[in-house]
Amino acid sequence: MESTLLKLEQVNTHIDQFHILQNVDFEVKSGEVTVLLGRNGAGKTTTLRTIMGLNGATSGSIVFKGENITKLPPYEIAKKGIGYVPEDQGIFYDLTVEENFRVGMRKDDDGTKERMEWVLELFPDLKKFWRKPGGQLSGGQKQMLSIARAYVNDNDLLLIDEPSKGLAPVIVEKVIESIDKMKERTTVVLVEQNFYMASKLGDAFFILDDGITVHHGRMEQLIRDEELKRKYLGIA
Amino acid sequence: MMQKVQKSTWIYLLFSLVLVVIPFVKDERWFLFLLIQIFIFGIFAMSYDLLLGFTGIVSFGHAMFFGIGAYSVGITLERLEPTFFSFLLGIFFAAMAGGIVALIAGVLTLRLKSHYYAMLTLALASLFLVLAEKWRSLTMGNDGFTFKIPELPEGLQDHRNTVIYMFCLLSMILIFFGLRRLTQSPLGKILQAIRENEQRVESLGFRIMPYKVIISVISGVVASFAGVLYAISLRFVDTSVFAIDVTLDALLMTIIGGVGTLVGPIIGAGLIEFAHHYLSELSDVHWIFERWIILFGIVYILAVIFFPFGIVGTIQRSFAKRKQRKQEVTKSKKIAG
Amino acid sequence: MELIINLAINGISTGMLIFLIAAGLTLIFGLMDVLNFAHGGIFAWGAYAGVWFFSLTQSFLLSILAAVVTGLLIGLVTEYLIIRPVYGNHIQQILITLGFMLVLSEMLKVVFGPDIKAAETPSYLSGSWTIGDVTIIKYRAFIIAVGFLVFIAMQLILKHSKIGLIVRAGVMDREMIQALGVNIRKVFVGVFMVGSALAALGGALFAPSSGVVYAEMGMEFGIFAFIVVIIGGMGSIPGSLIAALLVGISNVFMAYYLPILSMAVTMLIMFVVLIFKPQGLFSTSGVSNK
Repeated sequence: MESTLLKLEQVNTHIDQFHILQNVDFEVKSGEVTVLLGRNGAGKTTTLRTIMGLNGATSGSIVFKGENITKLPPYEIAKKGIGYVPEDQGIFYDLTVEENFRVGMRKDDDGTKERMEWVLELFPDLKKFWRKPGGQLSGGQKQMLSIARAYVNDNDLLLIDEPSKGLAPVIVEKVIESIDKMKERTTVVLVEQNFYMASKLGDAFFILDDGITVHHGRMEQLIRDEELKRKYLGIA
Repeated sequence: MMQKVQKSTWIYLLFSLVLVVIPFVKDERWFLFLLIQIFIFGIFAMSYDLLLGFTGIVSFGHAMFFGIGAYSVGITLERLEPTFFSFLLGIFFAAMAGGIVALIAGVLTLRLKSHYYAMLTLALASLFLVLAEKWRSLTMGNDGFTFKIPELPEGLQDHRNTVIYMFCLLSMILIFFGLRRLTQSPLGKILQAIRENEQRVESLGFRIMPYKVIISVISGVVASFAGVLYAISLRFVDTSVFAIDVTLDALLMTIIGGVGTLVGPIIGAGLIEFAHHYLSELSDVHWIFERWIILFGIVYILAVIFFPFGIVGTIQRSFAKRKQRKQEVTKSKKIAG
Repeated sequence: MELIINLAINGISTGMLIFLIAAGLTLIFGLMDVLNFAHGGIFAWGAYAGVWFFSLTQSFLLSILAAVVTGLLIGLVTEYLIIRPVYGNHIQQILITLGFMLVLSEMLKVVFGPDIKAAETPSYLSGSWTIGDVTIIKYRAFIIAVGFLVFIAMQLILKHSKIGLIVRAGVMDREMIQALGVNIRKVFVGVFMVGSALAALGGALFAPSSGVVYAEMGMEFGIFAFIVVIIGGMGSIPGSLIAALLVGISNVFMAYYLPILSMAVTMLIMFVVLIFKPQGLFSTSGVSNK
């Protein structure tokens, strides 16, 4: 259970002339929720996008399930078993909930059906608005749809970018609850500003600052380390 | 910086002087005529460069302004007495008509993606072509019409071609320096910033629409002036002035010569006009040379992909690079020393 | 009254031909954000291919098929040679595709000769039906039927098939569809080929109805297609249909009553749309026009 699923070594990413990620090291163990923390602009989203191949790494290596995926295009990376839930949820507004699922479904086998049923039980709202365009869902529902869509495929890893952003506290509770349940079935990388959420879900943590990995360890340590929290996360 | 501008100005003036002397050295008719065409298309291509190179606007209907200019002066001189006053009036009409059409096209589409201006000008140009073909009472349709140009004072009348040559040359030189001044002015700097990054300019609080429209109008007026000169040099107008080939010529001249350099389009005009001249002679050798658009089209496509800075742009870049390297060397020497 | 009905049928069939070109154009634009100024050239190639194959085989069906295949092939070559080097750069795209348009038109003259070519209507589609005082030209009715079928087929495919979903999703968010495991580049090539084939089909259908084909028809109808796409909204198929019918009908009526203004009325519609609804009558939410 403690095996490494994803490993980034000395990854550098440039966007235009800007050097965003600078020698980032990052590791995800199977079956855990690894939380990526840091201030705004620290490079968290870029880390996820680099893993996904949406911003290509200029150097360094990204190894997923023992395979080097650094230079692969995004669609190949997705097929290797990584699901992506972007910051803006990436819902296709003019497609219905059902179509949003279908367009991203890579297989239509029993496993997919089983996961579909399971996830719809988790998010009954989606079932209710099955034929409604994605654009008409509430913010929380969009978030659920995006997470569910990523989960339905036979993925070994989900990358979830700030799921709590812009959601009411009640909804955040719900999202926490659902990711907590998903945790038993899949591995998750979570980018989160909301420390409450991060601390509830996280097993391990990494802190990025200005595109550099400055700290990592177990979540329990971070929760106790007031100094670290103040320094990099601005939490008193 | 000041020093450098003056240096290049001297070089341009020297070239201008050479061009002034040419007719007194080699006054063969075809050669003077070819140079006149180069000056006219040089002006036309510069007006195109003002849009494409300095503002990032693509027009596919530039022939429209050219044709408007040609017909304005042609019709004025044909309907009124061929006096010097009618000629000026013709230029005035040409400038007004070209400016108004450019204003309309600009206001309608310049707040949208660059596609729209390209499409709209292409469509408008075809409308003007149809208009010129159909409105026979004014334009004589496809046959076109000849007209007289003002008589020159005694003594000069025998050297009419030389006078037209000088007039076109002078126009080109003045327009070149005028447009160069414009592009180096604060307005020109804003335009270039718009071309580089529209959103950023907008977020700095500039409304970019009016700037683009102003340039569209200036370009239209200059292009119709080129059309005026063209009609005068031929003493004849027909619908071919509205043809897409004319726009293609401007595009080729600008891109081959160097987008955003002003002097590039003039060099491009020289190359293309000479190529036209010799290719049409070659058409006796093989029929493929009659289909010169294919050759030009292919050259043009290759230029867009592989030679996007054109002749002048590429030279300027290599100079800039060398200079930068030199500076780096001196800098590192200083550090080492 | 009969006159009006006849003109209307005429206008609708003209509109359907324009729709076939515009549909491919707007599809390519919507998904790939590429405005293909060479699109009209492919239309002309379809027309010539159709005429040539018809004279060769005397089979209308085969000639249509040949035109469609021509369109697919030119689409493939265009995407590979012309579009691929300039993805993402609008100005270069516009410049290069116009150049390619001229090359395509001139190549027609090289391959088939510079003269206007006569186009025949197959015997079973020539002639007309007379109902009361109304004469319906069979071929016009045929064009209307084909145009309508193409529209329905496109709508069904886009709305209900998986590939249609992917195309629509790709129009809205190209990045996300890749993150879901779709190779959008491959889809692009397919869409480009299909769009080109639609233009070629339009050309092959156009030839018998006008009776002649000529190299400049590509530019002429290409411009119509642009206007239609502007009016209908870039990226919208139903928008293209409505706008094409509007342009077709108004053109035919104007050509009858005030021939000198037939082109101007199309322009006028476009101006009005640009002033009051610059994103077009039916803009899709995923495509911005800024």
